[in-house]
Formats: sequence, structure tokens, C-alpha cells
Amino acid sequence: MSEELSSKFISYYSSFSNKDYSLVSFERIFGGASRETYKIEVKGDTVERLILRVTQDSSLIETEQETEYLAYSAFQNSAVPVPDLLDMSEDKNILGAPFMLMKELKGEAASPFTPGVYSPNEKKLGYQFWSILGEIAKKDINKDIFETLAEELSSPSWKNELDKWVKVIHEDSISIEPILEAGIRTLYRNPPKEPERLSIVHGDYRSGNFLFLNDQITGILDWEMAHIGNPLEDLGWALSPIWSWQDRKRPGYLIQKEEALKVWESSSNIKVDPVELKWWELFAAVKGMAIWISAGNEFKSGKNIDPINLFSAWIPGDIHLEVILDILEDNNEA
Amino acid sequence: MKPDINEALLNAAQEIIGRFSPLIEDEYERSRLGSWGALILISAMKFNDAGSALYKENEDIVLWLRDYTNLDSEELTNLDIKAYQDVSTVDKINQELRELLNREFMALEDSGDKVGIRSGLVLMRTMHQRRKVSDLIGLLQVPED
Repeated sequence: MSEELSSKFISYYSSFSNKDYSLVSFERIFGGASRETYKIEVKGDTVERLILRVTQDSSLIETEQETEYLAYSAFQNSAVPVPDLLDMSEDKNILGAPFMLMKELKGEAASPFTPGVYSPNEKKLGYQFWSILGEIAKKDINKDIFETLAEELSSPSWKNELDKWVKVIHEDSISIEPILEAGIRTLYRNPPKEPERLSIVHGDYRSGNFLFLNDQITGILDWEMAHIGNPLEDLGWALSPIWSWQDRKRPGYLIQKEEALKVWESSSNIKVDPVELKWWELFAAVKGMAIWISAGNEFKSGKNIDPINLFSAWIPGDIHLEVILDILEDNNEA
Repeated sequence: MKPDINEALLNAAQEIIGRFSPLIEDEYERSRLGSWGALILISAMKFNDAGSALYKENEDIVLWLRDYTNLDSEELTNLDIKAYQDVSTVDKINQELRELLNREFMALEDSGDKVGIRSGLVLMRTMHQRRKVSDLIGLLQVPED
């Protein structure tokens, strides 16, 4: 498949750039929940490094490519580092599926499940990670982009998001999970306040979804779940213990939670209400369960037997269930 | 005495991870095969206990339902199977019991029965501890998300 795609790509890219290019390398990157991602090197006058994201027939999370494109567009040349966008096409005739093309950023992404992966730079990276998230929360988004991303938004925004993920859970669940159902009921019974200001929400801001080079964050990736909502949603997701399961006091295996909150508050100019944040932390675990259940369903139905789907259903699915149980126990302590 | 199924799976996982995966040059295919190796390793470690754990879970749920709910005892007797059953039957009963547990736990929440809620959470903790495979995360070279 890759050979056919690479030859289609080089002919498309030469025509797109109006220059002759030859292919140096074309490699698929493992992982990626919603798109097939390729790392490409082409040679024209100089060597160019590109990233191609191709929509999959069956993906872990069903998302619109346009969402990701708009989110990247919103943060071009801002305090939030994102790749330079080159092209996006919904035309399946060019490469066989809709795609998005961008310049490759320097740096590497780490597995979110590997302790010590940012050592010895976890402190510097941690300050940047939480500060950039604050920048996302306070960013004034271009009106057209805001309105497009807010198209399906209904009030209150928390319910919009919760309803969406609960629907996924009830459509894709293989069996009933009493812990998860109890978590969902807790969220509906104790809703959070609407934020003073709605923000763009990354939707999957966490360790593993940024590029870093030594002690510098060079790019924030994977914006396909971006939407308009409560900025505490991203904070709750990024703080989730799943991203530092073997060292839960240092979210993302970066800096301590208390320190992370101070950095975020200072960068976003938003004071965190602990009760509100707790709701969003429980929401994060429920949303995570929706994603892992969906992955398990893809695997079990045979639509996509990529081992990442089985892995997601087994390991992260277990962890987020345990996070929900921890919160429920905490709420019901004598 | 033949080697056990879990031993076969364990060896297959080790061969995949240590012997075959490194031979593959394509990074994507190598990672994908390595992930299969890791998942087979988890399967091997959980294989022997899977059936008995399901039996035990069913017993625990029935006990809890008897102690903390007003369910019809005949209905529970039908679900409290002591005789040998194949795993798919035990699993089917398990689905029914989980439905009942969820429904009855919700009723306790509605009535504000703190004691019942706490005992339900203790049961759910036991069920989760028995089922989970995430405690093996440290043993694995997990695939990148």
C-alpha cells in the first residue's frame, strides 16, 4: 500500500509545488489514533521533510480532518508551537483518501506510558507544557475559526461534551461496566459551572502529543478532537493519572501537580476552582473510557485489528476505570 | 504431561519480541509486531485464571445482591450457578449480574444509602482488581499511542 501511496504522493507534490521532486524516504509512523501518519523526505532544489496525515477508513476516534486543520491554522505563528500547514484536501482521488500535509518539526514524541522518558529535562519541559496549555486557554481565536469549531456547540458546554462521549460508550460497549456507569451518573448529578469565557480546547493535550528536542517543546500535535468549550477540560485531561501511572504525583511524568497548576494559572490568567477541576478530572476518565471502548469495539468487530486497538481496550481502559473508582471512593469516604 | 497453553503463549511472545521483531527493517511493521508480542505476553499471564476469576466474580455479585438489595431470591438462585458450566455460559450470566449490580447500585445512590454504596464500591474494587491487566504495564515495552 505504501509504495502505491508514495508514488501517488510524489506526483501530487510535484504538481502542487510546480517543481520536480524525487522521493528520498516514505515511512509510516506507528500509533496515531485517527490518521495514518507518514514521515516523508523529498528532494527538489533542497531536501524537504514533510508529514502526511491520511484519513483512515476505520479509526480509533472518528474525527473531521477540517477540525484539525482549523485548529492548526488558529495557532500558526503564535506562542503555541504547531507545524506549518501546506495543504489539506478532502478529494479521495488524489491519494486515495482525504489528507493533510505539513512541514516536519524537529523533535521527537515520547510514549505517554514510559516513566522517566523526559529525564533529565522534565522540569524545563514541564514548565513549557503547562504554560503552553495556558496559552491555548487564553488565545483569542479568529472569529471564523471559532464559529466553525463551535457549530455543534449547545449550552451548557459541559453537557455537550458529556452527552457526546456517553453516546459513544453506549453505542460501542461490549458489556455493561458498573464503575463507568456510576461515574457517568456522578457527572450528570453534579454539573460544573459554565466558564466565564469559552476557549478552544485541544481535546487530547497530554504527554506523548508534543514534540521535544532536548529541553525544548517544539510542537503541539494531534488537534483532531479540538472544539470550543471549557478550558478546564484540557487541564483535567492533561492531569489525568493515566499519563503518569507509575508516578501519579507528576502528571505526564513532568512536574508536580501543584506546580503544574500554578504555571497554568499564571499563563492562562484563570484561577482554578478545585471542585470544578475535580469534575473535569472525572470527565477525563469517562471520556478516556469512551475512546478505549471504541477501540475495543473496532478490534472485536474486526474492522481494525491494529494491536493498538487491543492495547487501548486492555491497558488504558483498565487504568481509566481505576481512576473513576478512585474518585467515586474518594467522594463516598466516611 | 504436555506443556500448558499459557507456557506456549509465553514462549511465542518472547520469540516475537526478542527474535522476529528485530529482524524487520520497516519501523511501523516492527513496532506493530512488537506490540502483538506484548499483548500475547499479557494473555499468557492472565490465561490460567480467566475462567475461575469469572466464576468468583459471579459469586461475589450474587452475595452482594443478597445482602444489600430486595431482589427476588428465586431470580438470584437461577443466577447462582455452582455446577460446572462452560466459560461462555458463565460469561452470559456475568453480563446479567453486572446489569443487576448496576441497576441496584443506582437505586442505592437514589436512596442515599451510604452503607450500601460503600459496600458496592468495595465489590467493584474487588472485581476490578481481579480483572485488570494494567498492573502488567511495568513489564511491557508498550506501543506508542
